[in-house]
Order: sequence, then structure tokens, then C-alpha cells
Amino acid sequence: MSDITELEKPVETGHQMRDEIRQISDRVRGRRQLRSRIMVTLCATALSVTAVPLFLLLYQLFRRGLPVILHAGFFTQLPQTPSLITPNATGGVSNAILGSLVLTLYAAIMAIPVGVLVGVYLAESDSKLAASLRVIAQTMAGAPSILMGLFAFSFVVRDLHVGFSAIAGSFALAVLMLPVIVISSEIAVRGVPNTLREAGLALGAKPHKVSLKIVLPAAVTGIVTGIILAISRAIGETAPVLLVIGGGYINSWKPLDPVSALPLSIYENAKSEWPSLRTEVWGIALVLVVFVFVLSLSARIWASRKQQAR
Amino acid sequence: MDQEFKTHVETKVADSTPPPERGAAAMQLKDVSVSFHGRTAVRDCTFDITKNRVTSLIGPSGSGKTTLLRALNRLHDLTPGAKVSGQILLEGTDIYRGDITVTELRTRVGMVFQRPNPFPTMSIYENAISGLRFNGVKKKSILDEAAESSLKSAALWDSVQNRLKVAASNLSGGEQQRLCIARALAMDPEVLLMDEPTSALDPIATLKIEELMTELKKRVTVIIVTHNMQQAARISDDCAFLLMGEDRAGELIEFDTTQKIFNNPIDPRTLDYTLGRFG
Amino acid sequence: MSIIIPPDFGTHEEVVPEFNSGTPSRSWYHYLLIAASIVFAAVSVGFVGTILWNSLPEWSHHTGTLLGGSGWQAPLGPFGGLAMIVGTLETSVIALVVAVIIGLGTSISIVFLVPRRFRNVIATLVELLAAVPSIVYGLWGFLVLAPWMLNTVDPFLNRLPFAREVFGNSSQEFGTSLLLAAIVLSVMILPTFVAISREVISVVPQDLIEASLSLGATKWQVIREVVLPTAKIGLVGATFLALARATGETVAVALVAGGVANTQFHLLYPGTSIASWIATEFGEAQGNEIAALMALGVLLMIVNFGLSLISRGLVSRQRKVLAIV
Repeated sequence: MSDITELEKPVETGHQMRDEIRQISDRVRGRRQLRSRIMVTLCATALSVTAVPLFLLLYQLFRRGLPVILHAGFFTQLPQTPSLITPNATGGVSNAILGSLVLTLYAAIMAIPVGVLVGVYLAESDSKLAASLRVIAQTMAGAPSILMGLFAFSFVVRDLHVGFSAIAGSFALAVLMLPVIVISSEIAVRGVPNTLREAGLALGAKPHKVSLKIVLPAAVTGIVTGIILAISRAIGETAPVLLVIGGGYINSWKPLDPVSALPLSIYENAKSEWPSLRTEVWGIALVLVVFVFVLSLSARIWASRKQQAR
Repeated sequence: MDQEFKTHVETKVADSTPPPERGAAAMQLKDVSVSFHGRTAVRDCTFDITKNRVTSLIGPSGSGKTTLLRALNRLHDLTPGAKVSGQILLEGTDIYRGDITVTELRTRVGMVFQRPNPFPTMSIYENAISGLRFNGVKKKSILDEAAESSLKSAALWDSVQNRLKVAASNLSGGEQQRLCIARALAMDPEVLLMDEPTSALDPIATLKIEELMTELKKRVTVIIVTHNMQQAARISDDCAFLLMGEDRAGELIEFDTTQKIFNNPIDPRTLDYTLGRFG
Repeated sequence: MSIIIPPDFGTHEEVVPEFNSGTPSRSWYHYLLIAASIVFAAVSVGFVGTILWNSLPEWSHHTGTLLGGSGWQAPLGPFGGLAMIVGTLETSVIALVVAVIIGLGTSISIVFLVPRRFRNVIATLVELLAAVPSIVYGLWGFLVLAPWMLNTVDPFLNRLPFAREVFGNSSQEFGTSLLLAAIVLSVMILPTFVAISREVISVVPQDLIEASLSLGATKWQVIREVVLPTAKIGLVGATFLALARATGETVAVALVAGGVANTQFHLLYPGTSIASWIATEFGEAQGNEIAALMALGVLLMIVNFGLSLISRGLVSRQRKVLAIV
């Protein structure tokens, strides 16, 4: 008995609409594809447009700023005011460089411990407090930096009677850096795989020891990356320090002295009547941008390298 | 067509039996290979898909079934580094090198995916006719008719006809998958590709969709990838068995009617697979 | 991690209930964390409270003037904030429109058009754009763009038919204007918008893209009819965040907007914004004026916090949409 049954040739159910649909779609196909090509090209154009300002900016920075910083004494001399006899005597920006370092250092001391601890707490706790703090941190991170200046003015300069000083500026910057460090620390700690923590607990270690000895060391890379980025942001900020540091013209480490900062000196001199000062700001800006770029890029590179090492 | 599952002991076919008469081929594959960045994923497949039949691609995972399927509607165009060689003909036209655009090809060869994926921002109605809309059909009468017809073909019309404007995400998994089938059918394609369409569904939903296929093949030619060989035995007319070779590239071991593949296949590896010895 | 902190996207992994398991022994570690949290909360509350408290004298007597008055008379008042509000609106909205249009095209390109090996480079580029300090943008705007505006753009714009109403005939000495501020702002908020919108667009499931292509859609149709609608909520969130950033920009606007407290709508006239006005006026301010400036600060805070919170709410709603797919 043959097992192969004749294959049926089943009747095709009618395809009445097919022709109409195919006709319409054939007609518009060319137009659709043209539109797609145009829009896609426009999107690619948008991408180029985004890149343009960066390159224009960098070009100007280097073109105008490089000669300035190569000038002897730029980094080491204190600023001078040009006069009619010496229109090019601008001096250097050592006070601003030192000022920025001082401000950032004190701000980091204030912000890092608290920020990291809060970040760790947020990553390890489910409580309502943690949830609220998270929202607070995210909101504060986006807050206009001028408000930090107002806060520092009212609290440090006035209420604490400290006056215009480095510590006031550092306080403002610390308030700025704090939420950023909190957020990035939380991300870093959350990035540690739970299996690590569970392994530690399974071995009988107490929860807090697990956190300290196992989880935190694993999160260190991420935490440090976040700190570097926060510092990078703080160095470039003008508004928080503008109102409270006083713009000192001497080199000083003392927290209670007025101090200058790189962004501040740019702000002060940008609208100067002296062309030499207006040129000098390009050098200061170049230093600032290079510094910030180096920090950002190193943070990125370090983070990705540690990621690969895992 | 008799779908009885007979063991190879009971049925022995004489070699001199003439091959069955086949109808016209909906698609033809000739020496089709797919590689990614030079590494071959599936190699040298040659067989014909007969119209108005269900052809299943079966084999263990990694054998290249899905890769082969996705070559049939040129989905690999999306993947950088993907290369499809050989000839794939749709009603005689080479889909890669012939006089047919990719967009046109995809209106004639539809696809249903493993996980139900209705467009989340569209209603049931809008999902069903989305293909028509993409292709420029605007007349409401056509759209309405297509929606009703395709939803009926997908056995979904009765349960959704009163809530067409409701978001598609309100449907159950099985219903969503039938909506995706309707969506593909609305274009009235000649071929419907199905990539493990029931693997993410519960048994009842699976059964419903399998029942659908017998009706579906009257309208379209169905090519289905399935890792469930009982399913293949239940629903398909023809079977292509693929297996991963030593070089980790899948290849076609055997292609024949489902009855032959499951009852007395030519290649011993096919027999091993259908008896459940591996995979 | 980047210098742009995008709203929370990741799913929070199951937290090992350290502090919630009711362990009787609270370690010093636990107390330390709580202490730090209290400090953080105190600083944040102090931040809001201090500015609010300092501004109360002005709010209690002169709310109307602050919100609706036109002139700012130092040192005794009246202090009218309308010019700042108008200026902030004009510059931010224009900047936003420009940044969203260009930024959307950019994100779409990055996700769909750029080959995988270049994606890292582009991402770095966007990050660098975001890392540039505002003062440098302001400097560039003032010393490079302003003269260009003065010599090339302004004369051109003033020749257009509706110039008088929209632009006003500007005879500004430096080329600073609200329009220039809007341009500089758009460059500054672009990376913020691109970073978030790129993230939102790239998590639209590949499934949906393949499904629409399989129906015969063109590339653009896939983007416009499937990807963008699916990502819509998140994109709106990105817009709000970019707007928040724009309203808060201080020194860049201070350098290029012209710093004049005129309430007017002409784009080529100089103007000011809330944040930049605070920055420029605070140095010389005394008593009442300080309170008035603090009041402007409160306004700024409300706007910024409001936009920020709405934005993050939208982005988390977006996550829920994707969870259904």
C-alpha cells in the first residue's frame, strides 16, 4: 500500500483586496523612499551641526589662548593692571590658579565624605528616607548654581560673619558637588553584583562588614569616577563663587582670606576695556577647558578599563 | 493530508516510488548561505517552498533555522557584516538581486516573531492596519475591510470587534500574537514567515494558533521555524531539517514531506532527531 | 557615567534588606550612614530655607511688583522682576526649540545611522560639549559670536519683512542681545537633551523595529511612526530637563544678553534673565535689594525644581511603557 498520499492542491481563498492594496502601495513607494532618504539625511546633518560649535570653540580657544599661556609668567605671576604706558602688562594668573585649587580642595573635603556615605546608604536601603533623599539629590543636582552662591552668602558670609572668603566659596561648591557625588556613588554601589554581597552573607559575615569589606571596595572605581566628575564640574563653575569669594589678588591658602578663581577671573576680565586683558582671558579659558577635558576623559577611560578588567 | 505518526518500522517505502507532484513554488532557495563578519551561520540550503502549504524548519538550537528564515525577508540587511549568498526567488524574482525593492518584498513576505510585539502606542485596529498605513493606503473603506478580514483570519475578530480602539497591550499574550498575525495578514502577503510563534505562549494559546494554520495556508504560504518537533509534525506539510555541522555552521540535512521526515527519513541524523535522541 | 546625570533609567536591583530586616544590633556603620544622611538633608533644607527666608520681606510687601513690575531701581526699589521673567522665557524657549530640533536629529543619527564603532567617539564628543564650563561658552559668545552677530546677522535680520516687530532695530554696541543669548543657550543645553533622548530612543525594543520593517516600512517611517511615539513620554521628559537647564544658566547669559532690565520682546535688543540679573546685581546690592534678589532666586528655584521633577516623573513613566512591551 502506498504511503504517499497525493498532495492536495488546495483552493486559494480569494485575494480581492490584494490588487488594490498593491496598486496603491506601488504608486506611493517611490515618494515614501525619497522622503525617508531626505529625512535621514537631515538627521545626519543635525549630527554634524551639533559637532560644529565644539570645534569652532576649540579652534578659537587654541588660536587665541595658546600664545597667552606660552607667555612667560602666565602661571607664576600675580595679575597686574595695565596702564596707558604699559598696556600689555597683564601679569599672570597665579592667584586664580591657586584660588581654584584651594576652593576645590576645601570643597572636596566637605563634600566627599558626606556624599559617598549618603550614596552608599541610598544604594543599600529601601526606606522612605532613602527614597526622599534620592529625589532631593536629583533635584539639587540640577539646581542653578547661582542659588548655591546665594545660600553661601547668606549662611557663611553673613550669618557666620566669616565675610568674603575661600571657605565661603568652598561651601557653595560643596553644596554643588554633594548631590552629584551622592548620585554617582549610589550608581557605583548598585553596580556591584548582588551575588558578591550574597556570597559574603552566606559565609556568615555581618551585613555591615559585608558592605565595608566586600561591596565598597568593589564600588571604589565608580565612586572615584563620580568624584572626579564632580570636581571637574566644580572647577568650572562661576556663579557659586562669584558672590562670595571676594576676588583676592594675592596668593593665599588661608580659608578665611578672600581668594580668586579661574572662572571668576575670566568673568571679570572678559568685558575689560583693555584689549590685552580681553586676550588674556582666552588663555585662562584654555587652561580651564584643558583641565576639565583631561579630568572628564580620564574618568571615562579609567571607568571603562576597570569595567573590562572585571 | 494524513498526519498520523507512524514509526519507521511499520512503514517502509520502496525507493522506486515517484516523487509526489508538487504545486507551484512560492519561494525557491538555491545554495543559500548566511554569514556574519565572515563566519558562516548557515550554509548551502537548497529547497523549494510550495504554495499554500506549511513548511517547517526544524532542528536543534544553533542549527541556523531562524537565520535562514530572516534571510527570506531580508531582515539581515539591518545587521552590519551580514552577507547572504546564493539565490532566493520569490515567484521567480531574485529577492536580493532582482527587480524588487526591499519594501516591496516585505509587503509580499510577512513575518511574525517569537515574542508577541504589537506596537504599544497603537490600538488593536491601528495595529492591524499598520502595514497598510505604512504602505500609503489611506482610504478608510479599505482599511476597515482589511482590519476585519485579517482579524477574522487570525480568529480574533469575535473577541475584539467591540473594542477595536482599545490599546493593544490590553490583550493577553496569545491574543497579542494573533494580533501580530492579523497585522501581517492585512497586507495580504503571498508568504508568511513565522519565527517560533508559539514558544512564548501557554499551551492553550499555542493550540489556538496551530489550529489557525490549517486555515491560513489557504490564503498564504506559511514557513515556520519551530524547535518543537511535535508541533512540526502536527501542523506542517513539508519539513526542512537543519543541523549544526562541525564548523558550527548550520546546514540542510533533509527536506521532504512531513510524513516522510517523521516516518522514514533518508538521513540517519534526521531519524535521531525525530526520535528525540538529541536536541 | 558622565558629567551629565541622566534621570534614573536602570531597574533597581533587588536590594538586600540590610536595614529593613530588623536586625537588633545596629552597628556604628549604620549610624554613620544615617548621620551623613541627616547632614545632607539638613544642607538641602537649609539651602531652600535660607533663600526663602531672606526673600520674605520682599514677598510679603511687593509680590505684585516682583512678578509684574518693569523697572529695577536700586538701592531702595521698587524692584520689578518682569523684565527678568520675560527675558528668561524668551531666551529659554527659543533655545529649547532649536536644541530639541537639532538634538532629536542628532540622537536619531547616533542610534540608527552611526556605525557601531563610531558610537563611542560621538558619545565622548557630546560629553565634552557638556563638560565645557558655562563661562567659556559665555566668553566665546561675547568675544566671537557677538561681533559676528553685529556685523553679519543683525543687519540681515533687520532687513526681513517683520523685522521691526520681532527683532527691533538694534544698535547695540557689542552685538549682545536676547537672540544671541538664546543661541548660546541652545548650544549649551543641546548635550543635555541629546544624552537623555539618545538613551530613551535606544531602549525602544529591537522587536518593534523589526516588526515594522517587516511590514514594508521605510527607515524614516519606522523612526517616526514607531520609535518616536514609543519614546514620546521620555522625550518630553528630556525636553523639560533641557528647559530646566536653560532657565538656570547664569554667567553665559550674563555675558551675552546685554544685561539691561527692559521689559520688551524684541529679540535683537539687550535683555536679561533671572539668573544672570542676580549674578550681575548682587555685588553692589544692599539690604532691600538683596531681599529682592533672593526673591528672584526663589522664583528661579520654583521653576527649576518644578521642571526637574516633572521631567523625572515623565521618564519613569516611560519606563513603565516599555515594561509592557
